[in-house]
Order: sequence, then C-alpha cells, then structure tokens
Amino acid sequence: MTPVPHSVPTADRASPPPLPPRARAAHRAPTASGGRPRSRPSLRRRYARLGWLFASPALLVILGVTIFPIVFSVMMSVSHVTVLGGGFQLSGITGDNYAVLLRSDRWFHALGFTVVYTVVTVAAEVVLGTAVALVLERLTAGRSWMMALLLLPWSMITVISGELWDYIYNGVYGVLNAIVEPLLGHGVNVLGTPLLAGIAMGAADVWKTTPFVAIIVLAGLVMLPGDVTEAARMDGAGGWTIFWRIRLPLLRPTIAIAVLFRILQAFGIFDLPFVLTGGGPGDSTESLAMLGWRAMFQDLKFGPGAAVATSTAAIVLIGCLLFLKVFRSQVGNEEVGI
Amino acid sequence: MTLRRPRALTAAAAGLLVLAGATACSSGGQSASADASSATGTITWMSAPLGPSGTDARKDLVAAFEKANPKITVKLVNAPTDTDTIRSTLTTQISGGAETPDVYDGDVVWPAQFGQAGLAVPLSDHLPSDFWNRFTPGLVKSMTYQGKVLAAPFFNDQAFLYYRKDLLDKAHLPVPTTWEQVQKEAAQLQADHQVKYGYVGQGSSYEGLTCDWTEMMTDAGGTTLDAAGKHAAIDSPQSQHALEFMRSLISGGVAPQAMTSFQEPQSEQLFTSGQVAFLRNWAYAYADANSSASQVSGKVGVTTLPTFSGRPGTGHSTIGGWNLYVNPHTKHLGADLAFIKFMTGSEAQRILATKAGMIPTNAAVLSDRSVQAGNPTLAVAAKNQLVARPSSVPNYPQVSQAVYTNINAALAGSTSPQAALKAAASQIDSALSKGGGL
Repeated sequence: MTPVPHSVPTADRASPPPLPPRARAAHRAPTASGGRPRSRPSLRRRYARLGWLFASPALLVILGVTIFPIVFSVMMSVSHVTVLGGGFQLSGITGDNYAVLLRSDRWFHALGFTVVYTVVTVAAEVVLGTAVALVLERLTAGRSWMMALLLLPWSMITVISGELWDYIYNGVYGVLNAIVEPLLGHGVNVLGTPLLAGIAMGAADVWKTTPFVAIIVLAGLVMLPGDVTEAARMDGAGGWTIFWRIRLPLLRPTIAIAVLFRILQAFGIFDLPFVLTGGGPGDSTESLAMLGWRAMFQDLKFGPGAAVATSTAAIVLIGCLLFLKVFRSQVGNEEVGI
Repeated sequence: MTLRRPRALTAAAAGLLVLAGATACSSGGQSASADASSATGTITWMSAPLGPSGTDARKDLVAAFEKANPKITVKLVNAPTDTDTIRSTLTTQISGGAETPDVYDGDVVWPAQFGQAGLAVPLSDHLPSDFWNRFTPGLVKSMTYQGKVLAAPFFNDQAFLYYRKDLLDKAHLPVPTTWEQVQKEAAQLQADHQVKYGYVGQGSSYEGLTCDWTEMMTDAGGTTLDAAGKHAAIDSPQSQHALEFMRSLISGGVAPQAMTSFQEPQSEQLFTSGQVAFLRNWAYAYADANSSASQVSGKVGVTTLPTFSGRPGTGHSTIGGWNLYVNPHTKHLGADLAFIKFMTGSEAQRILATKAGMIPTNAAVLSDRSVQAGNPTLAVAAKNQLVARPSSVPNYPQVSQAVYTNINAALAGSTSPQAALKAAASQIDSALSKGGGL
C-alpha cells in the first residue's frame, strides 16, 4: 500500500469530473481517511456492478456448459447410476464407484501409464521446445516463416496426424520398417510391442506439441531484460554461463506456464492411443481418459466411469498445485506472477 | 439441499416410468400384434447406409414397405457408421425419453446390454412365437436375454476364408479345410516366393479379435463361458491349443508380426495388394477384393473357414450383423411391428441380398438359388457353422475386453498363452460377478 499523499491540492486536481447523483451522495459519507471526500471506491463498485451485469450472460453459459456438467459428473461418481429407458437415475450416496477403481488392476495400470507418459513427454517437450526457442530468438531473417512452419504440427487435428504416424509405424507398409528392415534384416512391430508402442506414441506427441512450448518460451525470451545480460557480459560471463545462470532462471515463470498447460493436456491423452493402438497391445497403452470412455460409453458403467473422470481431474489438479507450490518456494512469489 | 430436489424428481420420474411401463404392458400384449396389420402413422427408422458405396438399399426397402403398407409412412434417419458411436447416440437419446427413432438398427452383441438397461422393447412379448421360425437357426437365440427376444435379425454377417485361386492352381494345392493345411500351404507359397505372407486375420486389441478368437477356440472345442453363462471357461486345454496355434502363425512367419495391430482394413489391404495368400474377413471383402481397385481382382476364391484337423464339419464363423430394435418410448408399436415383419420377410430380404450384397437372415431367402447366383459368398454362408460371441450377458463388452486384450498380448508375445488365458478367465469372472469390475 502506498501512503495517501497529504497535499490536498494535488488530490483535488486528481479528482474525477462531476459525478451522477448517487456517486455524489457517496462524497458526503465519512471515510477512513478522516472525512476527506473519496469517490474512487464507489465508482469502482459501480463499474464492478456494471461489469457483472455485462458478464452475466457469459457466466450463465459457463454455468450451464461447465459448472453443471462438472457437478453432475461428481454426483454421478458418488451415486449408484442406472440407465433405464427413462434416463439416468442417481440413487444414494456411495463410495462404491471409487472402491471399484481401487480394486481394479486396470485402473492402476492406466494411472501408471498416464503418469509416466505425462512426465516423459512433457520433460522432452520442454527441453526441445526451449532449444528451438533459443534458435528462433537468434534467427533474424525468416523467423515468422519458421514459426508458421513449426506451428503446422500443432495446428493439425491429432486424429489426422495420428493416422499419419500410423503410416510410419505400420508393421507391413510403414515407412519406418522400410528403413529399418534392410538394416536389421527383419521388421519391427512397433505398435504391437508394449514399450515400443508407448515410445512411438510419445514421439508423435512430442512432434506435435514441441512447437507449442517453443512459442511460449520464445515469448518469454523476447521479454527478458537485455540490460542484465549485457551487464553479465561486461563482467566477463560467457554464453553458457549467461544461459544457465541468468536467462534460464529468468525464464522459469514462462516455462512453468508451458509445463502447466502441457501437464493438463498430456494427462487427458485420448486421441493418440485411440488412433494408434486402441490401448494395446493388451491394455498396455490405455490412458485414464480411454479407460473412462470405455467404462462409460462401451460398458455403460456410468458410475465407475464418472469416478474415473472425477479422480483423473482431481489427480491432475493436485499435481499442478503441487508443482506450482514447489515452483513458488524455489523462485519466490513476486517472480511467478501467476 | 441442491441434491435433494433432483433426487425427488428422479424418484417421481421413476414412479411415472413404472406406471407407464405397467400400462404399456397391459395395453400391449396380444392387442399390439393384432393391430399390426391395420396400423397407421409415421415411424422413424434409424439406419446406416446399406450396400456398397453408390447404392442405398434402404430407399428400396422403404419404398417396398410403403407400397405393401399404404397407411404407414417411414422416415429414414441416418445413423453413424461406427458401432460404438451409434451405441452412445442411442443410449443418450432413448434414456433421455425420446420417442424416435421408433425402430433402429443395432449390433448383434447388444441384446443383453440393451435389455438390461431397458433400451429396447422385448419383441417376443408382442410377436407370435411362430414368427421366429423364418430365421436361420442360432440367430434368434443370440438375440435372447432372460427368455425374451429383444431384436429381430435384419441382416447377417459371417466370416469367410478368402484365398488366391490363381496361386493354389499354379502350385496344385487343394482349397484348405483345416487350419493346419492353411499353415502348410501358406508356408509353401511363401517359400516359392509367390507371396510375402501366407495368412492374415485381425489381431488388434479390439472387438474384431474377439470374433477371430471365438472362431478358432470353438474349432478347437473350447468355449468362453460355461454352459450356465455364470463363469469363465476360457482357460481350457482346447483354448490353449487354439492360442498356441494362432501365436505360431505369427512366430513362424506365416502371418505378419504386425497382425497384432491389424483391424479389418489393414488385413484386407494386404490381401488386395497381392501380398498374402489367405485372408479371414467378413462377407463384404469379396466385392472389395474383386473391385477394380484391387490388384487381385478375379483371382479370389471364397470358402468356409477351416477347422482344426480331426474336428467334424467346417470351421466356425462368428455371427455378425445387425438387428432391428424397437424404442421403448415408441408411440407406434403396431406400425413398428408391421415394419419388422416386412423387413424380415422374403421381399425385403431379397432386396437386401441382391441390392446390398448382405447375407439375409431369412432362411428361405438365403437358400434360394436365384438369390445365391448373384453372390458366391451366400452359397458358402449357407454351409457355415455359426457361433455366437458370449453376448448373452449384460457385461458382454467387458467380457470381450478381457478376451481381446489378453489374446492380443499373447499374440504379441508379451505374455505366455497360459498366463493370457488365466488372466482372461479371472477378468471375465470379475466382469460376471455382481456389479462387475472396471
């Protein structure tokens, strides 16, 4: 809080133009600063009220399409749900749906796969994305062209790019095998081997989202204060030191945003396993989102399906909050700005 | 607080539903089947396009029906082409209380699931028992849940063994009737560098693998569930034999390694590009393999699937295909029943067989020589031994997942056949237990 300036004339000069009757009434009300007329708060309140009024249609829409489904999904996850000809029937409050998850090897497997997949792909994307951003920053000619080109994978619909990757990985007419077969003497069944299938899927993910991370990091790089780097250079620091000791620490808030976005998306991965492996071989590449979809729309088990959805959201939310907390304690609040 | 009102509402809705159900039952029964002949009104039929691209046999069927039943009009609604999307569409609509579609096409594996969830009218309550005599034996049983027939078989799909006629002739090999023979002849054609691969089927982790597997396991004498349908019976020596054989096709190089990620399109593509000698696929593959886009057009033969040596008869084919279901909220039950009677009768089934190239469910039409002349798969279909997937349990989707995920893992070699069958059995048991697992 900045102290209130005591020079009255200055305050008068700064006072706003004549106000409508209701606001003027507020002038007369005594204020904390000892009876000095103060119009700001009431004006702000009036603006705020107007703001809410303007925002209310949008808020109603959000309530309808976001809040209600979330609440309904949470309700479903704690009730016995039956689909009968007449609709969903929720009855009683129960923890059965969550108990089903805890008893299911399949859920634990999907959880493990999703966590490992998220950690590995996000880490790879951040490292590669930062490297790409550093190159892009140095690029003077053709940077915008480069960026447009880089954004192609990101702008492609995942289901489509997944099909393209399938042409690469396919064990019979795949591009990858055409290259590998002469070298090894035999083909590789990429999508039919658990570990390879996971890696192949991760590669497709990294290919698609590295540009996204690169663009965010690039934005951060451009905003970095040049004087700090310059000062370091004058003190004799080399490029390597400047990057690790100055630029990277300053970039951390930007990278944190990129990581958060990516975690949220990677944890809900559905389209790539759906197109590439169908969760196979066996159920080795089945993510939580796929498991939830299966439970709900193939098995018509809406209770356990909702429990998968709700718990997935809760886990990723807690994960993100923990990440932010650790991050804050390292960098300090004022630097994070989020 | 906020919870209480919806609950009261759902309770009230449930009460109303029970009442509505009760009245529907009391007013239904014989009277409905009686007025099927004099029914009037407009009904909605949800169906995906029937027949090869460029033809739409649905329009011919509707025209023929309206001609025979001038008082009833049929409104055709397009269904998605993917079975799981259709299921979620119907579940949402019907459980939301929609009166349309009155009649819809549904997968053969849905009866138990839909019967349990009340998403279809039990047709056997409304149609006379002799109505069901028109169908190929075995079909009606697979549409029965808790003693009630929930759907009328509309058209059938079966699996066949497609083979390269030219290559077999050239090597003076007979058309195989056993799996061992397929393996031997395939290996010989591969050794002679006639083809890159010998045999291909569907091995990906999905419903299609349950079909391929059910056929081979039944050929070996195994079953998925016990006779009462209460427990898994998949972990048997017969299954073990079938799974070891299936795996040996891949590990021996007769089938491509990548078969473990193949669905129908990939395996068919391999065949039509001339890279494989034998293909297991559904009825439509015959037209595709002989189309102008195929590199083996005119060189393709079709026969029943083989069985294991020493087993009687031909090999087994899984029952595929689509049924006609009636929406429980329909306002035109009489007209719906008239529609179903017509669509399973000889005129409509003849249109389906000749125009759409489907296998008719009406036994008389299927065995009719004039119908068979147009499509060689039909003559073979009449000889097929059919086997139903264990879809008589409401948790069938989970039973099937237990089958295809584990069989797929064994085919890929990431687990042993014994371990795969054991895991499948325990997952099936947990799916069949009360409430089921996940």
